[in-house]
Amino acid sequence: MAATEGEEEESPRFAPMISFDRDRHVTFLEMMYQLLPRPYQTQEINRLTLAYFVISGLHLLDALDRIDKIVVANWVLSFQAHPRNKDEINNGQFYGFHGSITSQFPPDDNGVLVHNCGHLASTYCALAILKIVGYDFSGIESEIILTSMKNLQHPDGSFMPIHIGAEKDLRFVYCAAAICSMLEDWTGMDREKTKIYILNCQSYDGGFGLIPGSESHGGATYCAVASLRLMGYLEDNLLSKVTQSSIIDVPMLLDWCLQRQASDGGFQGRPNKPSDTCYAFWVWAVLKMLGGHRFIDSRALHGFLLTCQSKYGGFSKFPGELPDLYHSYYGYTAFSIMEEPGLKPLCVELGITDLSVLGI
Amino acid sequence: MDSDEELDTVPLSRRPEWSDVIPLPQDDGPNPVVPIAYKDDFRETMDYFRALYRADERSPRSLLLTEEAINLNPGNYTVWHFRRQILESLEADLFRELDFVDQVAKKNSKNYQIWHHRRWLAEKLGTDAKCRELQFTRRILSLDAKNYHAWSHRQWVLQALGGWEDELNYCDQLLEEDVFNNSAWNQRYFVVTRSPVLGDLKAVRESEVSYTVKAILSNPENESPWRYLRGLFKDDAQSWVNNSQVSSACLKVLSVKANYVFALSMLLDLICHGFQPTQEFRDAIYSLRASDSDPPESDLGKAICSVLQHVDSMRANYWMWRKSKLPVTM
Ligand SMILES: [Zn+2]
Repeated sequence: MAATEGEEEESPRFAPMISFDRDRHVTFLEMMYQLLPRPYQTQEINRLTLAYFVISGLHLLDALDRIDKIVVANWVLSFQAHPRNKDEINNGQFYGFHGSITSQFPPDDNGVLVHNCGHLASTYCALAILKIVGYDFSGIESEIILTSMKNLQHPDGSFMPIHIGAEKDLRFVYCAAAICSMLEDWTGMDREKTKIYILNCQSYDGGFGLIPGSESHGGATYCAVASLRLMGYLEDNLLSKVTQSSIIDVPMLLDWCLQRQASDGGFQGRPNKPSDTCYAFWVWAVLKMLGGHRFIDSRALHGFLLTCQSKYGGFSKFPGELPDLYHSYYGYTAFSIMEEPGLKPLCVELGITDLSVLGI
Repeated sequence: MDSDEELDTVPLSRRPEWSDVIPLPQDDGPNPVVPIAYKDDFRETMDYFRALYRADERSPRSLLLTEEAINLNPGNYTVWHFRRQILESLEADLFRELDFVDQVAKKNSKNYQIWHHRRWLAEKLGTDAKCRELQFTRRILSLDAKNYHAWSHRQWVLQALGGWEDELNYCDQLLEEDVFNNSAWNQRYFVVTRSPVLGDLKAVRESEVSYTVKAILSNPENESPWRYLRGLFKDDAQSWVNNSQVSSACLKVLSVKANYVFALSMLLDLICHGFQPTQEFRDAIYSLRASDSDPPESDLGKAICSVLQHVDSMRANYWMWRKSKLPVTM
């Protein structure tokens, strides 16, 4: 998620490797699954997101056999917030999944869990992990999640991630759309309002900012386009249908995205910024959704990403730095879009393995 | 970690003022997934935090504890939320709280919670906070002129509390320091389209076009002013096609024969929108062709795409596709 970008600023130089080293990446994720190193304690509030990177990463690398799926499913379910009774669904709280153990409180003497509240990003990650480990979704009380999620939508169509208040922007619009999509039920949002909010975020240059008026940004552009796709407002392979007018400015968006590939082959998140591993996913995924992915130089991108591949497994933000989970995950998704042998195909809209292809 | 934190190493369990609190330990469950190798002080601080939060103790010592917890775990929105509840209950001085956020932001200027807290404070303080918030964002932007959070906050301050009068000058100043700063161009667009001081975009358009063309001519490889120039004519393509400053800027860049990719790209878009190029434009484009041996393409749009295919080879497939999609009659 764009929400959790955080990395250590050290830069020993590694010699770039010549190919995608799947086995090292599996080892790296297995180590992370066992124990996250101390620097991750500052991201503890997003523990489910960290788990999502590890488990979904192992899935993309076709190595899900390294984990115990039942243990994972039960652990994820332990983060869900539950109302005491049906009436509480409308008390303003969001009964989704919360992100961390440090903010998890045991029930009071009446068995009430008052302090645990759901967060949209954590809920997206929880449901994604549950899908990946094959959990039966008929066991999820989706009505509770969706009915209470409506409380997080503002009159302008945006979403805040948590009922106690926080910044509202396209990241949480995306999470809400992905949650509805995974639960196959759109009662959790006012789709029309959401659409209008997204359209207001398209900037003068064709990209999307996180909120109306903000600078276009690769991650925000992904959230906008993926949400519109999940909500059914953008059809497949838009570019092949020239005569079709769209609700967004597609030609400018396409041109903006293509210009994000820099001369070193990597993708930048904004004009005149350095290339960064994660935008290989955020921007390329947008191009893929528009049908314009064939216009980029994938060999040059491949070359850039390999300079960010660590000899310990994983990917770093910039060439030659230490790897982190966030950039590793988006390195794997980028290689999956490139159809690297050994990697599973990606559902670009949901950012996880394409489960429909696998017949799940 | 900076030095004043390192000095404060007495564990909470050995501080007398905390002796009456029973810490509430973290329950990681039987089979934790992705456990984190916490430092002891992190775990202990959060154990005490949980105890106070659950007891809803909104006291001065709770306020101090949230400070310690935030220093260790600035992303924890529950801690920040509790801090706001305490501040309200204690009717604390919110200007002093701004000082606290100044401190935290020095190390964590890319943390969403800090900016949300800052906004909560500014909302409470209203116009009294205007100058301080504009100064605060200026300071953060002087360290990182592209900090996304700082820009969002600044835009909110302008819209909610005002302070537009000096904003265009501020954009000028930042662009003078770095004309490649796309965030500053975006802010400029925000100002010219939304400032109540300037009025309608059309009123400033001609002077903005001049300003932008100047920036383009000194650095034609800079994408930002090209995008800005197009943006000035958003939803008004006809004025863009008819604007002589725009087309002559393209021609000037082409005649220098260096860094002309964006100029060609804009010219292509202009032609697609009905621009009628004169012989001067044709000559400038034909002189950029890779080889004189091929017969020149009579269709100028196609000729532009061919040049772009060659000089912008990374996007060769795109320009080829654009060529195939050109309107039939030129
Ligand atoms: Zn990144």
